[in-house]
Amino acid sequence: MSIEALIVDLSHDPFSPELNFQVAQAYDKEKQTASAVSFYLRTAEYGKDSHPSLVYVSLLKLAKCFEEQNDRLHTVSNCILQAVSYLPYRPEAYFWMARFHERQQNWQECYTWARMGGNQAINTPLPDDVDYHGTYCLMFERAVSAWWIGRKDESVSTFQRLLEMDIAPEYRQAVEDNLARII
Amino acid sequence: MNLVQKAVGQGGKLAPIAIPGTFGGMNPSVFIDHDGDILVNVRVVNYILYHSENEQRFPSRWGPLAYLHPEKDQRLVTENYVVRLNSNLEVTDCAKVEMLELHQPIWEFVGLEDARLVYWDDYYLIGVRRDTTTNGVGRMEKSKVSIDKNAWTIKEISRERIEVPSQSYCEKNWMPITDKPFHFVKWHSPLEVMKAEGTMAEQVSLKQGVQPSQDQRGGSQLIRWGSVYIAITHEVDLFKNYLIQKDGIYRHRLCVYDDDLNLVGISPEPFSFLDGRIEFCVGAAEYEGDLLVSFGFQDNAAFVLRVPRAIVEDMIAEAL
Repeated sequence: MSIEALIVDLSHDPFSPELNFQVAQAYDKEKQTASAVSFYLRTAEYGKDSHPSLVYVSLLKLAKCFEEQNDRLHTVSNCILQAVSYLPYRPEAYFWMARFHERQQNWQECYTWARMGGNQAINTPLPDDVDYHGTYCLMFERAVSAWWIGRKDESVSTFQRLLEMDIAPEYRQAVEDNLARII
Repeated sequence: MNLVQKAVGQGGKLAPIAIPGTFGGMNPSVFIDHDGDILVNVRVVNYILYHSENEQRFPSRWGPLAYLHPEKDQRLVTENYVVRLNSNLEVTDCAKVEMLELHQPIWEFVGLEDARLVYWDDYYLIGVRRDTTTNGVGRMEKSKVSIDKNAWTIKEISRERIEVPSQSYCEKNWMPITDKPFHFVKWHSPLEVMKAEGTMAEQVSLKQGVQPSQDQRGGSQLIRWGSVYIAITHEVDLFKNYLIQKDGIYRHRLCVYDDDLNLVGISPEPFSFLDGRIEFCVGAAEYEGDLLVSFGFQDNAAFVLRVPRAIVEDMIAEAL
């Protein structure tokens, strides 16, 4: 559906978390991330008691929108932290926090969030892709950061375990590249 | 019922206005020129309005209402784009307004903000600029712009900053009257009309007229509608959020004026466009008998709404 049609639908039920989410996704797809922010945030605020999965994904998508706008690191981390605290037993936001710190080269933080995320067991499907493909994503963050904080053996063994798993091609390539550098 | 639902339900149309290559537009100002072209000035900013609604459970790091500029650049920078729409309200042409570089901005709010588009002796973008002093004094400015419709370029060719007779810190949201060159409605309680042909504004009239129940602020242009003028104004229900920060809910009303610019009617109840807490209308134009209104949603999205004539007539009747 077009943004126009989605907004018209929304005008009939302006506080619907589902409709706000659909509008946000449509703007996000068009790279109109400022517009997407408003509707993801409305999804979160109006869905917090009724649509936990939508709210959770919206908070992560908010982080992604701000990340794409560059130079808003405090806001990016704040959105991810809100997702962590909203559904603390899901792993995805821990992964986002670990990846955020990996990109900032905050290695201890990356390692800590990756370890914490590895303990979260709820993996029920979410209403949209959030870049998290499974536990191996957290293992990857753990392996990368471990090397930088003096845990080379842990890093190597974790990378080697990853190679034995069914992982996405881009992860496999990254694991092989990392191992080639550190062994 | 919000106005979008009502208008579209009775044959109107909603058009989102997106500016390619930007993160979104805001506070659009629609205008129909002498060629019959539907032109819209769209404000594009370098910040995001983060506004938590409902119970405000997911605030930003700086609270539920924050202007999120880049963290290493505290400026709130505005640029303007003018787009042309076809009769189906689709964008056919889009260009950034090339502004003259007349000074180095010396305050955080940079650029011409919330500009209304009109044509008097030429095209003008009329908004507030606050970057000429170190403490953000705001004055309305008239930027005369040249629109090359073949190449689709828009260039500022001259600029006048409008001074006011009395001391004030910030003048903004003056509502240009489309068929009265250089005339503006400044306030509604009482209704104050200003004229600013050059750089000094003078008061033309100050009359009470109908007393709005709440202070009305600009607003769209005042446009001719049959035997009257009409405009869309806004009001703000202010409240303090949990951080005791100023927050608000914006709602709009339709105002009706007679030929002598007396305020003779106002919507008895405020309305919303999409039930967002912050919405802002800065444009109105008559098009093929219907009314086009342009509004920003949460400072992050821009829309033009075609409102069928019958609804406008009902709104005017209610206002009177």
